[in-house]
Amino acid sequence: MVNEYFQLIDYGGSVYYYIFELANFCFLAFFVIIFYKLNYINSNSLVVWVGLFFTPLLINYFLIIPEMYGDQFEYAREIMSLKSTGESISTVGNTTGIASSASSYVPHPITFTSWVLGTVPLPNYMTVTSLAFANKLFIFGTFLWFKNFFQDENKVLLCFLIPSLILYSSLSLRDTLIIILSSFFLLNLLRGKYVFAGLLLYPIFIVKIQMFAIFSLYFIGRLLFRAHRSYLMIGIFAATMLVVSLVIEEDVLMVMNTYILAFSAEDFDMGGGMFSYAGWAIYADGEDLKVHSIPEAIYVAVLRLPEFLLMPMPWNWSNFFYPIQALESYLLIYLYYKLATRRQLYKNREFALLTLMLFIGLLMYSLIMANEGTFVRYRFTLFYPFLLALFYLAYSKLEIKQS
Amino acid sequence: MSFLKKYNIVEKFKIIKQFFDDHVLIKSSLHSVGISLIASLIVIQFSIPQFYVSATLREAQTAGDQGEIGGERLAGIFTGGGNMSNIYDQFRSNMHSYVLAQRMWDQGWGSKIFGDGTMDEEYFNTIPKNHTIGQKAGAFLLGYDLFEYYSAHDLQGFIMAKARPTKEVKATNITVYVMDQDKNFAIDFLNAVILETDRYAKEHLIVKSKEIIAETYKQLATSRNSSITSALANTINSEFYKIASLENDLPYHIYFIDPPHSSEYPVTPKVSSIIFSNLIIFLFLSIAYSFIQKNKEDLW
Repeated sequence: MVNEYFQLIDYGGSVYYYIFELANFCFLAFFVIIFYKLNYINSNSLVVWVGLFFTPLLINYFLIIPEMYGDQFEYAREIMSLKSTGESISTVGNTTGIASSASSYVPHPITFTSWVLGTVPLPNYMTVTSLAFANKLFIFGTFLWFKNFFQDENKVLLCFLIPSLILYSSLSLRDTLIIILSSFFLLNLLRGKYVFAGLLLYPIFIVKIQMFAIFSLYFIGRLLFRAHRSYLMIGIFAATMLVVSLVIEEDVLMVMNTYILAFSAEDFDMGGGMFSYAGWAIYADGEDLKVHSIPEAIYVAVLRLPEFLLMPMPWNWSNFFYPIQALESYLLIYLYYKLATRRQLYKNREFALLTLMLFIGLLMYSLIMANEGTFVRYRFTLFYPFLLALFYLAYSKLEIKQS
Repeated sequence: MSFLKKYNIVEKFKIIKQFFDDHVLIKSSLHSVGISLIASLIVIQFSIPQFYVSATLREAQTAGDQGEIGGERLAGIFTGGGNMSNIYDQFRSNMHSYVLAQRMWDQGWGSKIFGDGTMDEEYFNTIPKNHTIGQKAGAFLLGYDLFEYYSAHDLQGFIMAKARPTKEVKATNITVYVMDQDKNFAIDFLNAVILETDRYAKEHLIVKSKEIIAETYKQLATSRNSSITSALANTINSEFYKIASLENDLPYHIYFIDPPHSSEYPVTPKVSSIIFSNLIIFLFLSIAYSFIQKNKEDLW
């Protein structure tokens, strides 16, 4: 069912907006105080998380206009339409994502995200920022779960103070959900909990099909090839992936080229009002962007990888988030390196397989990358769960005990 | 019961109960509830109830049938909505243009919005306009004169701020909405804005068609090639047909799926949400104050 007539009442940055959202903040802050009293978190975590719960109030309308991340309105409209009428808004109901076209049992990613985030019993779902508070509670839940594996809570807390994580979890977008699901998947897989990890592939398929592709490979590599046990098996697994991709080269290239063209078309701007898909349909064919063989795809991806890892480049900095995100990207790469060298983790086979999968994911994204803002976001949602997984390998109680 | 033992549920329940006894079920919470009610009443008292008046429009089919440029059609085919998007962009630009404001002003809308509604041209062209101190200071310092009376510029600003057209990506409907305390005025205003926007677009197309016909006649007079003559004659026919379809009172670019109509009750402010939110805020402030007072040493 589709609700064609649903309209979001836009409170803008009015006094009502701040009243409704302050109430949401107070609810979450109260929740954290209870957790502190129950000794689930220490006093540092209490102070930091109260601060983190306040950040949604500082982003939309205060630091940026919410239209800068315009998708937020889609999620806000969807959750309010679902809660008030039980029906999706027309944009979502009339269109299907790639995942949705696979099966009628797969909901639209916006509907699914709104449904999941909407389970948080916030006092108000009134504005474009409300879902950001639900995101915050989910990320807090992840922190509570994740810190169980470590002795030092403060170190874990630092992992949740990455600027991009604070930014994306302060917006009404699905990136936080992707990060959480991906982190749960990776950690469960590292702990050998295959059933739970396998079940998590379904929601990952709904919210981000690209992540599903990478994680499916990882799942197969670990479960069937046991590639985390020996370098030989990692080699066999990598060779098998290459051979299979060459056998079904036509299909792989078709999917890759579809994504390359779609992202390029979305980013297309000829000026004079000719932009996005409409402009692309008239003025571009994209033939020169397509890749025609698997070796060519790998070659192009490897060439573009450094740019993908280091963007946004200084000459493309167009808003104040860009320099922060650029510095953060260097920091995250450095952190990965530092964690890899801890206790000579780079000699660990588990680390080798994990890094191989991250490398494949990064290559895939660097091949299809177009719009800088979008792909900075995509890179973070891919990189951060792997970083958490590596942090787990380097610092968790169990891993230290085993080593 | 091992579950209860493992997670120490009873102990945790006791801690929560103690927390509520210490910080929630106390006198200051009662005070904060009272203060929140007063704050809510103040907010509500200063709020202006706003009705939601909206119209749902869709592109009239005739627009695509009569000589759209090839590119637009092509875009529509490839994107499944490019043409619709162009119609929407055109509609929005026209709606927020100064020309449209001027036309609305000539119809006396300036008087209804800034004055007492008298439709006398002499009156609505001389409605005195107040200026802020900042505007006066700016004019004094830079040496320019401020408009003494309201004009079409002000009406343009009003239309841009009030009448908001929206169209979702890939959607086919255009929704135009206004939020105002006077629903009857809002319905009339929205209706007038939409129809005048369409009329303005129609007039532009009529002028364009007449120019094409005039130029085509000139080409026809000099043409010696029969196929070119035939093509030119077809162009003239189609332009005459377009003029005929434009010179009536029906909307041209768009048609109403749902004409302007108002919500039954004001959509904002939501009184219950304001009271509930204020209650949470003030109650939390009281709890937080009490909690910080008793846990100062642990926290800092």
